[in-house]
Amino acid sequence: MVVNATGCMEVTTTIFPFSTWKVPFLHNAFENAAATISGVEGAYQSLKKQGKIAENIKFVAFGGDGGTYDIGLQSLSGAMERGHDMMYVCYNNQAYMNTGVQRSSATPRGAHTTTAPAGKVIAGKQQQAKDLTEIMAAHRIPYVAQTIVGNWPDATKKFEKAFSIPGPKFVNIYTPCIPGWGYDSTSTVKMSKMAAETCMWPCYEVENGKYKITYNPGANKKPVTEFLKTQVRFKHLLKDEAVIAEIQKATDDKWNWLLMMEAATNKA
Amino acid sequence: MSEKELIKGNYAVVEAAIDAGCRFYAGYPITPQNEIPEYMSHMMPEAGGTFIQAESELISINLVFGAAAAGARAMTTSSSPGISLMQEGLSYMAGCELPAVIVNVMRGGPGLGNIQPSQADYFQAVKPGHGDYHMITLAPHNLNEMYDYTFGAFDLADRYRNPVIILADGLLGQLMENIELDRTKKPELLNAPKPWALTGARGRHGQRILSLLMQPGVLEKHNFKLKEKWDLITKNEQKFELTNMDSNPDYLIVAFGTVARVAKGTIQKASADGIKVGLFRPITLWPYPSEALKEAAKNVKKVFVFEMSLGQMVEDVKLALGDASKIEFYGRPGGGVPAAGELYEFIKKRVK
Repeated sequence: MVVNATGCMEVTTTIFPFSTWKVPFLHNAFENAAATISGVEGAYQSLKKQGKIAENIKFVAFGGDGGTYDIGLQSLSGAMERGHDMMYVCYNNQAYMNTGVQRSSATPRGAHTTTAPAGKVIAGKQQQAKDLTEIMAAHRIPYVAQTIVGNWPDATKKFEKAFSIPGPKFVNIYTPCIPGWGYDSTSTVKMSKMAAETCMWPCYEVENGKYKITYNPGANKKPVTEFLKTQVRFKHLLKDEAVIAEIQKATDDKWNWLLMMEAATNKA
Repeated sequence: MSEKELIKGNYAVVEAAIDAGCRFYAGYPITPQNEIPEYMSHMMPEAGGTFIQAESELISINLVFGAAAAGARAMTTSSSPGISLMQEGLSYMAGCELPAVIVNVMRGGPGLGNIQPSQADYFQAVKPGHGDYHMITLAPHNLNEMYDYTFGAFDLADRYRNPVIILADGLLGQLMENIELDRTKKPELLNAPKPWALTGARGRHGQRILSLLMQPGVLEKHNFKLKEKWDLITKNEQKFELTNMDSNPDYLIVAFGTVARVAKGTIQKASADGIKVGLFRPITLWPYPSEALKEAAKNVKKVFVFEMSLGQMVEDVKLALGDASKIEFYGRPGGGVPAAGELYEFIKKRVK
């Protein structure tokens, strides 16, 4: 059973009167995917208790970063706290791409968007991205993960694991957007891999409080400029050494923090 | 000095707000009004104002609530589903008597609907959310009016300490046309004192703005006070436009916004066939120009009400005329935009 918030995925997979989904599909507004799937799952639990339904049904909600990080955060937090047996997947392309590339709280520092434009007064988004994966981990739910579309084994492993665990799960998947980021259309896999290789988007999971980094570039960790220089949205930044240094430091801090958390939560 | 400019409707709204002295804008992405927050994100920093992209429309309207309480000229914009999320804030602002300008670039509904032009939020604007309240509602029908009405809305909001809605639609928002911008016009009340605003408590007791009036009778009194204001607005602010009424028409069209624009073409088509049709275009949808409509409809055989909805304003037409027998309604819901010939066909079938 799939619930989908408004976004590119909803628009492209359910062009009326068709559906690409082989399972029941329900759409609701941006802010409501987590609440709506909670309702469907609640009804399922009720029917199950009444003996009116026997099968085991998996519930998954999809939302983009705008619908998840911003307007949908309240309903997502509520669903996770109540403990519904569901998985929420945020497909994260770091802005409101479906409405024309407006900034979201997932947009990284410095990126150009149509509402955080790179101009003479302000050079792109002034704030750091919100760390939603950690906000979800702070809900102490059974499973939280970050992955990328460019690492198929990593992504499928995490989704399979999430489906096997009862209770609320959250997966944040990094999904580059060709028009929104401004890169060659053959490079989507490369873009997401580069994000992992620079540790700007680390692949990791938190299972029952235990951190596990699932892709560690180790000594091959690339500088953030390797990622930034490939996209039009960061073009204006490349000469701005101070902002580049700030982005590098924030990236390193998060990565070191993850290494520390992995070590701290896996002590024998 | 006026200047001609080829401009998109959504941009005209931004130009007007900046010219009217609006220096606080909050918005959230939704099609077909995205050009407003996008252009605002350029213009506000240049004008020395504040642009905030909120995390939802609920937040947009409450940012505006806060800015208005602080005495700023504040605006937010959205499209139909987003305006639904603002209903709570709008009621609070009306209850607290806070001025602000809200632009609704309407799209097809209900639900997520589509992104085609629509007029289906008429009820939501003129017969709004919870509690007894009203919002001055202005309906532009070309891009010059997108500019003019937005510009004037800020003074109206300040004069009456009340939210003002610009009820546009996706067509007016996305259309480009040449408009005259009168840059010499100055907003009247931009620097008028706002003694009620929360501007500090130095040398005076801290002021308060709230809409919770729990004691029995107190809220009732407050509502009667608000009614006096709304009666005054109803007396002073009704606006409408008459077209082809000098011809002593046999038939009258009542339409607002985009449909009124289309209806002007319908009148020409009818006139070519020797059928005399006039147009009554309400500019203020609240307060509704009921007396003027009654007068315009006095001598016609039929009143045609055209809307891009299943029929909402037609209820106010019925109330104004006090007699529905002359009224014929035709509406296009869900994003349909009627053509001039289509409306004429509807009329032709009913006049012979």
